[in-house]
Parts: sequence; structure tokens; C-alpha cells
Amino acid sequence: MELVQNGAGRAAGERRAGSPAAARERAERRRALLLVSPGVLWMALFMVLPLAMVVYVSFWTQTTFTVEPTLTTESWARFLTSPTYISAAWTTVRIWAIVLVSTLLVGYPVALFIGLMVRNQTLQTALLVLCVIPFWTSFLIRVIAWRPMLGTEGAINSILLKIGVIDAPITSLLFSEFAVLVGMTQIYCVFMVGPITFMLARIEPSIIEAARDLGAGFGRIFWRIILPLSLPGVVVGAIFVSVMVLGEFATAAALSGRTVNLLGNIIVSQVGSLRWAFASVAGVVLTLVIAVVVSLLLRVVSLRKEV
Amino acid sequence: MESRILKPVLGVYCAAFILFLYAPMITLAILSFQGPGGGPQFPIIEWSTYWYRHLLGLTEPGRIARLPIGESLLRSLTLALMTTVVSTVLGVMTAQGFRKRFNGSGVVFYLVILGMIVPGVLVGLGMSLLSNTVGVSRTWWGTAFVLHVVYTYPFAFLVMLAILNRFDRSVEEAALSLGVSPAETFRRVTFPMIFPGVLSAMLFSFTLSYDEFSRTLFASGREQTLPLTIYGTFAVEIYPNIFAFGVLTTLFSFTLLAIYAMLMTRAVRAGRSFKGQEDAL
Repeated sequence: MELVQNGAGRAAGERRAGSPAAARERAERRRALLLVSPGVLWMALFMVLPLAMVVYVSFWTQTTFTVEPTLTTESWARFLTSPTYISAAWTTVRIWAIVLVSTLLVGYPVALFIGLMVRNQTLQTALLVLCVIPFWTSFLIRVIAWRPMLGTEGAINSILLKIGVIDAPITSLLFSEFAVLVGMTQIYCVFMVGPITFMLARIEPSIIEAARDLGAGFGRIFWRIILPLSLPGVVVGAIFVSVMVLGEFATAAALSGRTVNLLGNIIVSQVGSLRWAFASVAGVVLTLVIAVVVSLLLRVVSLRKEV
Repeated sequence: MESRILKPVLGVYCAAFILFLYAPMITLAILSFQGPGGGPQFPIIEWSTYWYRHLLGLTEPGRIARLPIGESLLRSLTLALMTTVVSTVLGVMTAQGFRKRFNGSGVVFYLVILGMIVPGVLVGLGMSLLSNTVGVSRTWWGTAFVLHVVYTYPFAFLVMLAILNRFDRSVEEAALSLGVSPAETFRRVTFPMIFPGVLSAMLFSFTLSYDEFSRTLFASGREQTLPLTIYGTFAVEIYPNIFAFGVLTTLFSFTLLAIYAMLMTRAVRAGRSFKGQEDAL
């Protein structure tokens, strides 16, 4: 009996391999690969190759103005023993952590209001559009706009002086780490608000109603239902914010007055003085930091499942 | 009961958040009307449009250099258009390919997504190292352009993937089983149905490329794009001409957005009439 079945199965399999359905299957698969290949080729040539080049050049020999393709670990040794570079790496991680927490703390209540409290679709869309509109202003203009806000004769100091909260302008608002943190929080907050709002808006109202009917207070509903269901949004937002903040250099350059040096700033200044090997080392370190952060975040939620 | 207090509190918080988002731009817009003697700070010495005229070249060339906005705007728009076309075509092709399971699809997915994750300053550095080694000169329409596509193509791909995941296959299947070729099916059936998604992918690519500067910084060579012109002013003392510039670029972006909204409305209406024809048949 079993033998007969096996034989029949094999025969059917052979028939299938030559059948029009199988031919169509193969043609479709070939077409899929053909469709995907230009993009793969583009990414291999213009992304993977340049990145490999950065790793390669980080082992080149650097003299004051020239760099030669003789392999050495000298640039790495200099990076890892230099207090400037190590402190830049540390500052990058610290600023990233603070901005991540502040965008989450500032953004989550906004997402909660728009996504969960506002059940009118038109109003919901209008509020989201209102949050996104500033993004049609150039990123760099949004950065520079913090200068007249935070300066000694800026808007915040003028207002505080006028209403009599302070008698002398606060000078530490601008050209400080504080300025960088405020600027980054405002610029990147929306990347947190968007994904979280999206997840919150998808929660069935009946689930929350059911919990309420069973006597759960808002705190309990929030911790047990709302927060866990919004977690994928938090992770997506955190990935957006992390990737952008870790690669930053412009906000720090414009708002800290060169007192805050991130890895991005190190890369820019090293390229500026033609020290390609040191810039590459900083670049590889930056890549490692980002890889660790993103893979930690992906541990919480699988991104591909959410797309 | 608690939500009766919570909702108004969160509403007020949300309003404060929106003020936080807009306040810097409002301050910047107010200070752009500073008089010629005033600096980039309060108080406003006299209200005037001096810095706008300075920017557009309508004043005597003073001690402050004029920003080269005309050429860099043209470059930025050209670059964004080139990027939009190429990344949308690549995005649609790849997403279309992903509708069929194939070996290594996971690797391809992450390879494409990596383009939006890798920091711009890093690919920019890599590209300039590569062009030095290979001996290709760096230009905004060459080395910078390919990097812009590396950045925007993943976004276009994700948008198209989301659209095609929600796509009704039956019409396509009908066309294919009636013997229409796959290419013809795509042109006549699939493309008109996904067209609104294609427009979104194009909008994404355009805005991202138009504002991109960290990839462009190292890879564009001597001729600057609009964001690089702004970045250049970071190194020197700032004057209210940057503020006037900020206001004008924002107004320009809104004009572009309005044009897009018009095209989108027209496309959606055309799509509806296309379906109407089908019903009539």
C-alpha cells in the first residue's frame, strides 16, 4: 500500500515538474529575480562598496596630509588611546540615550491624545498633519531657528525678562549641551509620535471598554493594555530616532558652539583636514554603535512582521 | 471617570507640544523682518524687508555676502527630480519582485532597508574615498545622486510593498489567464491601480532628496546644493538673511506641496473614472 502510494506520488511529482503550472512557477521566480536585481546591484555598488572602502581605509597609513594604502593598525591605536576620540564616542552614546528618552517622554502623551482620545477621523488627521508641516522646512533651517530662540537676546530670555521671572538673561541656554538636546528633541520628536499614534489608533475601543466594565482604572488599563499594544510603534520610533541622532553632526555644530563633539563631528572635521584614515576609524566605530543599538531594539519587536 | 480629567489635560499638553514645534520657526520668521542695522536677535530695531531684498539681490552689495541661492536651488530641484524618478522605478520593481517568494529574499530586504539606516555622513565618506581611489571626480549629479537614491529607494520600496500587500490579485489573475502578457498586465491593470501609491513614493523621495545634506556634503564636490548653501553659513556668523532665506524656502516647499496635492486629487479622480469604465463594461 505504502509502496503504491510512494510510486504514485513520485509519478505525480514528475508530471508536475514538466507541467505548464511548474513552467509558469519557474518563469515567475525568474521574473522576480530579474525585477529585484537592478536594486540589489545599485545597493551593492553605491552602498556596500563605499562602506567596505571605509573599513579598508581605516587601516591605511596616515601622515599629516597624505594617506597611503599600506596596511597598519596605527589609526585604530590612536583612536582608542586618544581622550578626544573616546570622549566623542561617549558623548554620542550619552546624547543618543537622553534624546531617545526625552523624545519618548515628550512624544508619548501627544500620541496618546491623537491616537486614542481623539476618535474623530478628520480631527485626528488634521492634528497629525499639523505635526508634520514643520518638516517641509529644511532640516538645517529648523536647526538654526533655535539660535534666535535660545540666545542671550533670544525669544525665551526676552519673555522671561519681561514677565520678571529672571533679572539677567540666562547665558547657558545657547552654545551648550542643553541647546543640542532641546534642538534634537524638537526635531526628532515627530518620528516618535507618528509610529506610536499609528499603533494606538489601531487598538479596538471595545477592548478598553471591556477592561473598564470589569472595573480596571485608567492606570491599570494603560500598563496592561495600551502600553504593550503600542510597543511596536515605540520600537519603530526608537529606531528612527536612534539612527538619525547617532549619525548627527549639524545640530551639535550649530547649537553647541563646538563644545559638543559627536562621532559625526569628528568625521567631518577629520575629512576637512584630509585625515581620511582617522575619519574612517570614527566611521567604523559609529557603524558598530548603530549596529548594536538597532539590533538591541530589534530584539524587542520584529520589524519585518510589522511592515 | 479619570479620563474626564485626563482628556482635557492631554489636550492642553498636545497644544503646548504644537507650540514647541512651531515656536522656533515663528521666532525666525519675525526676526527675518529685522532692519539693516539689527542682528539676528531681539529687539527688532525697525521693521523692514531689507534682508529679503538683500537675499534677492535688490540692495547695494553690503559687507555681508549674498547667498548663492539661485544656482543651488536649481541644482537641488534637478537632483531631487532625478532621484525621484530612479528611486521610484527601482522601488516599484523591487516591490513587484517581492510578491513572488524567492531564495534570499530576506537578504535582499535587509540590503535595501540598510540604505535608510546607514548614516549619511558614513556613505558620503565611503563614496568620496571610493571616487578618489577609482579616479572619478565628485559631482552633485554623479556621486551625490547615486547616494541620494541609496537613501530614498528604501522608502519608495517600503511604500510600494505596503500598497502591494493590500492589493487585490483577482483582476490581475483574470488578465493573465486571458493570455495578456505580464508586462502588458502591469501596464494596463496593475499600474493604474497602484498609481496613488506611486505618487506617495515619489513625494517621499522628492522631499528626502531635496533636503538631504549629510550624504551630499562629502560627495558633491565643488558645486553646492541648497542645503549645503545653508550648512555653509553655520561656520560663519549668522545674519537675518538666513532667516529670510528660511522663510522663502519654506514658502517654496509649500508651493511644491500644493502642486503635489493637486496632482494627487486629479489622479484619484482619474482612478475613480477608470473604475467607472470597468463597471460600465
